Formats: sequence, C-alpha cells, structure tokens
Amino acid sequence: MFHKSLVGVTTALMLSVAPVTANALDLFVYHTWSAESEVNALKVLIDALAEKGIGWKEIAIPHESESNVGLINLVTGGNPPDVFIESSPGVYRDLASMGLGQPVTQLFADNHITENLPDAVVQSITVDGEIMKVPTAIHIDGMIYYNKAVAAAVGVDPTSWTSLDDMFADEQKVEDAGYTFMAMGGNTFQAGYLFHPLVAAIAGPDVYYRFYQEQPDPTVFDDPGLRAAIEMHRRITSQADEGWVNRSWADTTNTVITGKALMHLHGDWMKGQWRASGATAGNEFGCINIPGSKAMSVTVDAFGLLGGVDDEMKNAEFEFAKIVTDPLIAARFAQQKGSTPVRADAPTDYMDECNTVVLDGLKSIGGVQNPFNIADNDWHMSVWNIMFEFQSDPSMTVDDVIQRFKDEYDVIFG
Amino acid sequence: MTDILPLEPVRRTFRDYPKKPRKIRGSSIAILVFLTMCALFIAIPLYVIIVTSIKEMSQIIQGEIFSLPTKVTFEPWWKAWNEVCSGVQCEGVKVGFINSLMILFPSLVLSIGLSMVTGYALALWNIRWAGTFLFVLFTAAFVPFQIIMIPLIIMTGIIKVYGTIWGVAIVHAVLAMPLLTLIFRNYYKDIPNEIMSAALMDSGSFWRIFFEIILPMSGNILIVVLILQITSIWNDFIIGLYFGGIGTKPMTVILANSVITSRGEISYNVDMAAALLTAIPPLVIYFVLGKFFVQGITAGAIKG
Repeated sequence: MFHKSLVGVTTALMLSVAPVTANALDLFVYHTWSAESEVNALKVLIDALAEKGIGWKEIAIPHESESNVGLINLVTGGNPPDVFIESSPGVYRDLASMGLGQPVTQLFADNHITENLPDAVVQSITVDGEIMKVPTAIHIDGMIYYNKAVAAAVGVDPTSWTSLDDMFADEQKVEDAGYTFMAMGGNTFQAGYLFHPLVAAIAGPDVYYRFYQEQPDPTVFDDPGLRAAIEMHRRITSQADEGWVNRSWADTTNTVITGKALMHLHGDWMKGQWRASGATAGNEFGCINIPGSKAMSVTVDAFGLLGGVDDEMKNAEFEFAKIVTDPLIAARFAQQKGSTPVRADAPTDYMDECNTVVLDGLKSIGGVQNPFNIADNDWHMSVWNIMFEFQSDPSMTVDDVIQRFKDEYDVIFG
Repeated sequence: MTDILPLEPVRRTFRDYPKKPRKIRGSSIAILVFLTMCALFIAIPLYVIIVTSIKEMSQIIQGEIFSLPTKVTFEPWWKAWNEVCSGVQCEGVKVGFINSLMILFPSLVLSIGLSMVTGYALALWNIRWAGTFLFVLFTAAFVPFQIIMIPLIIMTGIIKVYGTIWGVAIVHAVLAMPLLTLIFRNYYKDIPNEIMSAALMDSGSFWRIFFEIILPMSGNILIVVLILQITSIWNDFIIGLYFGGIGTKPMTVILANSVITSRGEISYNVDMAAALLTAIPPLVIYFVLGKFFVQGITAGAIKG
C-alpha cells in the first residue's frame, strides 16, 4: 500500500511539473524588467509582435542580480534565449566565439535604421565594428529634475542656469527659504551615478573616455578636468541634508516630489517616480541637463539576438529588431517607460518636454557611453567605492581621491 | 501468600520543591538587556515592514518610517498577492507561491528520501568504504555552491531537466544530501544492535527493514529534517534564479523581481506586503511543528 501510494504521488508530481513546450514562433526573451513602467513598455512590443504572429515567452530575473551570469547559465544549460537584455560588450564577444552572435548591421542599414539613431546610441550598440544590440531606450545618467512649485516659491528659474556656478549662485536663496538646495542620497550606486555624469559634463568626452575604458589612461589622473569633477562632487554632496545616509535614489527624489528639496541630480529614470506620484513633466516638475555640460552620459537599454538559430527563428528575431526600432513603436515604448526614444525621427506626439531636452542635448552637446558599456568592471566598481567614501568622509581631500584612483589602478592593472 | 504490589513511582511536581529566593544579579540584568537588544534587532525592522505595508504611498514618501499609518489600507496586500509583476506577468506573488509549492514537494521527496536511505545504510549496514564515503560527503558539505554551479548546470542540461522544476529539485537534493545524510546517519547509529539483529534473523531484507522498522521509528528526525528542508527550499533564491526556467521561478524570485529595481518606480507598501507574504509559509511551519522540532533535536536528531 505504502509503495503504491509513493508511486502514485511521484507520478502525480512528475506530471504536475512537466515542462511547458513553447510554440515554434514564440520568442524566448530573457530580461530584468518588472517595474510597472517597464512592463507597460514591454507590452507595446508584445502587442506589435502579436500582430506579426510572433509570441512571447520570457524569463524575468531581478535587477542587479548579474543578468549576464544568468544568460551564460542559460546558454551553458542548453536553453539559450532568442532575445536577451544585455549591455556588456564582453558577453557579445563570448557569444560570438561560441557561434551564437547575431549582428544586425546589415538589417539596420537596409531598413534605414542606423542613420536615424543618435551617434551616442550607435556607439553604444556597436561591438568590434558590428551592430550587435537592438536599442530600446535612451536614459541620461545625470539630469536635474526640479519641483516647479518650489522653484516658483523661491523665485529661481533652473532653465536660466548656463553653468554650475550659475546654479550654485542660487543656493543660498533656496536654503534661506527653508528648502534643501539639491536632494542627496547615500550609496555607492548614487555616488557613482553622480560622478561619471560630472566627469562627462565638466571634463568632457576626451577625459571621460581616458578615465572610463577597459584600461584607463594613467595620465588622466592628473588632468585638471578630472580634478574639477571631483571638486564638484564634493561641492554637491557637502550641501546634503541630514537624512542623506543610506537614502535610496527613489527616496531622494521623493524629497523633491514632496517639496522638501528643490531638485535632484540623478539618472532620468527619476521620471518614473514622479509619474507614480501622479505628476507630469512641465506641470509639477521640470528638467534640465547639467548646466554648462560638455557631454551627456547616455545609457542605452538594448536587447541582443541569439545567433546560430534556424531561419524561421532568425526571421522572428529580425522582425523583433525592426519593431523595436520602428519610429512609432520607439516613441510609444519610451512614453511608457519614461525614457527617450532611440530614433531621432520618432514622432513628437508621444514625448514630453524632458524627452525634448534630452534629444536637443544629444544634438547640441553630444553623448558619451555609460561606463558599464566601456569600462573594466573592477575599475568601475572601485570608482564607485572611492567616490562614496569621499562623499562619506569630509576629511578626505581631492588629492586623496586621486591617489586612491592611482592605487586602485595599480592593483587592478599593475 | 502475600501479594506483592508494584511500587508506585514517586511523582513530584515543581510545587514539591522549595522555591529559590529570587535574586537579581548583575549578570541577569546583562542577559536581559542583551536579549532585549536581540529582540529589538528583529522586532524594529519587522514593525517597520508591517506598518509600511498598511500605509498609503502618499504618507510613505514623507519619509517617516516609524510613524503609524494615518489611514490603514490593505490594498497593498491585495496588490502584492494579485497584481505585482514578474516580467510581463502581473498576477502577483501568488504565482510564485504555487511555483514554490511545486518545487517544494519533489525537492523534499528527493532530498529526504535519498539522504534517509543513505544514512540508514551507513549507520546500520556493513558497507565497504563507508568511512571514506562519509568523509567525502562531510567534505562536500563545505564546498560553496558557486563553485559547482556551472558543472551542475551542464549536468542538468545533459539529462534534459535544466530549466524545469525537476532540475531545481535535483539540485536541492544534491546540495542537501551531505548534511541530511549526516543527520540521519547519526540518528540511526543510536538504534540498538539487538533490533537490527532480530530484524535480520526474521529474514528482513535491506528495504523491508527500512520500510517496516526504520521508517516508523523516524518520526522525530523526519520532523526536524522537514522543517530544515522546507525552510531552506522555500527561502532559496539562487537555485531558483539560475535553475528555474519559464514559469518555474519560486516565490523568492518573483518577490525579488517585483521589489528590486535599480531604475523603476518603487511602491514600498506593496513591496513590504509581498515580502511578508513570502515569509509567512516557513513561519507557519515553525509555529505548527516547532514543538516537534525541539523534541527531535533532544531525541538525538542533530546532536554529536
């Protein structure tokens, strides 16, 4: 009796957990998006794919859980996704070496896609001369979002600032009115995401690319532009309110949304937090690029396509790439996600004034790539740690920071 | 002939013993302070989590995490159970709850079944190289999972279970085997030789002795191992993350998907409710079976 029960239970379990088989034309998508705005954006793609008779099967994993590890695990386990979110060029090189790379250079050229992408986007999706990624969204790593009601109450106009000195000229006025001048959070992510946009904005693309690359140019450590960026990091972080320690970026933005602070300098994904509170660009909040920027640091969210698949799947993957980069779809996708469309010719009906600020900035100022896309990961993480330590320790000098950069460089590349 | 009455055992209760005079010592105060601090260490975050889960976002963004809700709402709990997204599937953490249950049962059957039989064999049968095998097993208990993750992925890929619930269950069984086998082996080692000798004389085979004698004697230890394994499997994140496939991610991964976001908007009340919902099942198991857990330990389950 016991044996029969055991066999019965085991059989039932085996049947209950049998794997589900996907249809032939289902794209198996691997991604890290589960926030409401991200999901709504993905649904734009899913609907467009469905119209072409292509289904969507997915594995979603959490943000910040090393998506590239999960991707390689899926490949190693013999169950690779057809489409995957990935920014690291190294992963594309690894896949290419396994015969699983799928360039879209020719596809983009044939469909006049490349010519309608901003230069910063094209740079970001190109790996060793081939376009390997399908860009979905543009995010600016360092923008200023400000509370319009606070600005009006104090009598300052952030759009009039043409330099960071202009900006700080209004600091006392804002603080005298009882507001925090610039909202500040406290962790390595925010310290890092404050620093690299400042390097781009203050020191410019040349210094930026000498500092953030596979192996940095050691002469950059003595460049006055880098020193100026570090000094500005100190100036911005030293005016923080008391509660900055361990405050997440979302909570930091909340202090602006609730009218405790005038503005927040962070990635433009802040828009999602504003929208979640029911606010809209141009009404409750406004946005500007870092005043006097020499370059804007750009994050390009992108999907990769799996190579080595049969023709039917390859056609489905290419259809996906064309849908994602279609001007109208790109605009609708960006509207949902709170990002800026990757197509320069995307219809403006779906954009808000912050999107316009971004696209105008990319045209006039130009962009540099996010460090995740170009820099050695150990180096990049060391920079985050050093800058957070700098933010946390008022006794640390700019010279100390530069010396720490040199020491870390020796450890990592020496 | 005089009847010899059996001697009644003298039963004493704690009332029969004289009370010791209470004396407050410095060490007692220190212990109390230490225990209070330990309790607060857990209780304060738990308070924040519970209170946040029933607040409205408009109050939460004010940043006063210790304040009581100005208006109590259970909508975040409903949203967490039914609406939060994992990828484009926005059906709440209940999806993960079902997945975790589907992972839990085969994982328990595999891990406990294998370890129990192995422990029984090592403790009560003369197995050649048993000592060496035990040593290797013991050593394996200290190998970090990350080191064997890729080989396990390749092996589950070869046997075509990678990305399925059986793949997750097999990995749980493999990783639990060293510790569980040691626990079962130590427990069975205390069974008197006379029982085994009698069973063998009654023409008991390996499996017959196991099913008819050993298994019925394993109640205490099974409760201990069940609690350990249910907690471990339910709370697992890494195995579910890297070995689960389409529609097979456990509740912890679904929770992390909905909560962890580097760039998306954050709803703290829903996040806290989802975290509490995920933590409830192991807590219920502890509350229901906790008494037996202590009995199992004191009966020799995981001692020396």
